Amino acid sequence: MSEGLNYQFLVDTFFVALSGVPIALIITIVSLLIALPLGFLLALTRINRIPVLNRFAQIYVSFVRGTPVIIQIFIIYSSVPLLLASIFEKYNINMNVYDVNPIWYAFIVFSLNTTAILIEVFRSALSTVSKGQLEAAYSVGLTNVQAFRRIIIPQTLVVALPNICTATVNLIKATSLGYAMSLQEITLRAKVAANVGYNYVEAYIDIFLVYLILCSLVEYLFKLYEKRLRRYKAVNV
Amino acid sequence: MMLEITNIHKSFGNNEILKGVDLQIDKGDVVVILGPSGSGKTTLLRCINFLEKADQGHAIFGDIDVNLKTASKKQIHEIRQKVAFVFQNYNLFNNKTALENVTEGLIIGRKVAKDEAIEIGKKALDKVGLAEKYHAYPSELSGGQQQRVGIARAVALNPDIILFDEPTSALDPELVGEVLTVMKNIANEGTTMLVVTHEMSFAKDVANRVIFMDAGVVVEEGTPKDIFVNPKEERTKKFLKRVLPEDYIFYI
Repeated sequence: MSEGLNYQFLVDTFFVALSGVPIALIITIVSLLIALPLGFLLALTRINRIPVLNRFAQIYVSFVRGTPVIIQIFIIYSSVPLLLASIFEKYNINMNVYDVNPIWYAFIVFSLNTTAILIEVFRSALSTVSKGQLEAAYSVGLTNVQAFRRIIIPQTLVVALPNICTATVNLIKATSLGYAMSLQEITLRAKVAANVGYNYVEAYIDIFLVYLILCSLVEYLFKLYEKRLRRYKAVNV
Repeated sequence: MMLEITNIHKSFGNNEILKGVDLQIDKGDVVVILGPSGSGKTTLLRCINFLEKADQGHAIFGDIDVNLKTASKKQIHEIRQKVAFVFQNYNLFNNKTALENVTEGLIIGRKVAKDEAIEIGKKALDKVGLAEKYHAYPSELSGGQQQRVGIARAVALNPDIILFDEPTSALDPELVGEVLTVMKNIANEGTTMLVVTHEMSFAKDVANRVIFMDAGVVVEEGTPKDIFVNPKEERTKKFLKRVLPEDYIFYI
């Protein structure tokens, strides 16, 4: 450190960290694809007080919210292989559980985690759309699915979008914890590069910048989308 | 007989709201239901359109004969094609323009071709005096204008009957008139209407039949003159005394 920052390493490692972006994005997108519909449906069970499912969603949310993501990763990453091993053994599947790409565990952890957050996001957003509009939709002859697709969901999305954006950004940042299961994402790649010459400060600055750029970009895209969605509200608010 | 309801019952928990109501409506009738709040007027309307499921009761809508409790999804859908509803709180689709509010049910619910639906929708909005507001969103409209869109939405469906659930109760007093005028106009065109309202003048001037409900039963029904001038039942007299001004003189 006495020699100051190693600028060459700083620049080189920036691109090493950048090469982890696709993995972080794939995990984010897959998790959102699973969590968005699941979170919406479970939020509906909460709003409509569907017996059993409502209760399940409530407990599920408290479990996930009440535990650190890193612990959830440790639990999934250590317990699922054990489970798989016993299944493989029972059905004589010739496969080594430790050859499974850790990205699969990341999909599981982060979609479970994001689902819980989105349940709460959609629950509050759904309650801002009056039930009367649903009744009006029925009364003009729309089916349940049509009413939700055309009337309720578009309005719910507008309200939920800022929170979905926050959840997405949090998710991108949380993928950095993937290093704990040797996932080749941004943080791990930069840290491995730093190990060689102990250039940790440079590596951390690179990681910092990559996440900052990535998250700002995502926020910007969300803003554009929100602007498009809330045309109908532009006038009075 | 266009609509015949028999022995409709509905409870919310231990609270029995409707205790066996019968109702007959002929084509072209304008029937007004009066009654104190909590008497079950709104619930009756909502049960007719299956927004609430009745605990018991039977209905004949033209050629559809249906048990109000066990009606199938298909039957409910068929009946909703014949019955339109105007809500107290307008319940416009906030993400749709006035015109889209009116055409939504036509295009999606009834599979009318888009061009034709827009034609019908514009006519309906013209009729309620909103020719300038086709492309306005509900948030850009006053309460009275929103309710007129609500009425246009019902009229455009060309239903056999329109149910009005206290259409002016949520409005500023100064906006009530424009909505009542629109309702009078469509009544004069021969639209069959069942109206829950507290507007006595509307009942007097437009209705051909008035029903007085209290505590979940029909207490008395007759022409506006029967009810307002010569009420027979004690409960009707008491109610009218409360809602009509001291010096109210009833002209027919």
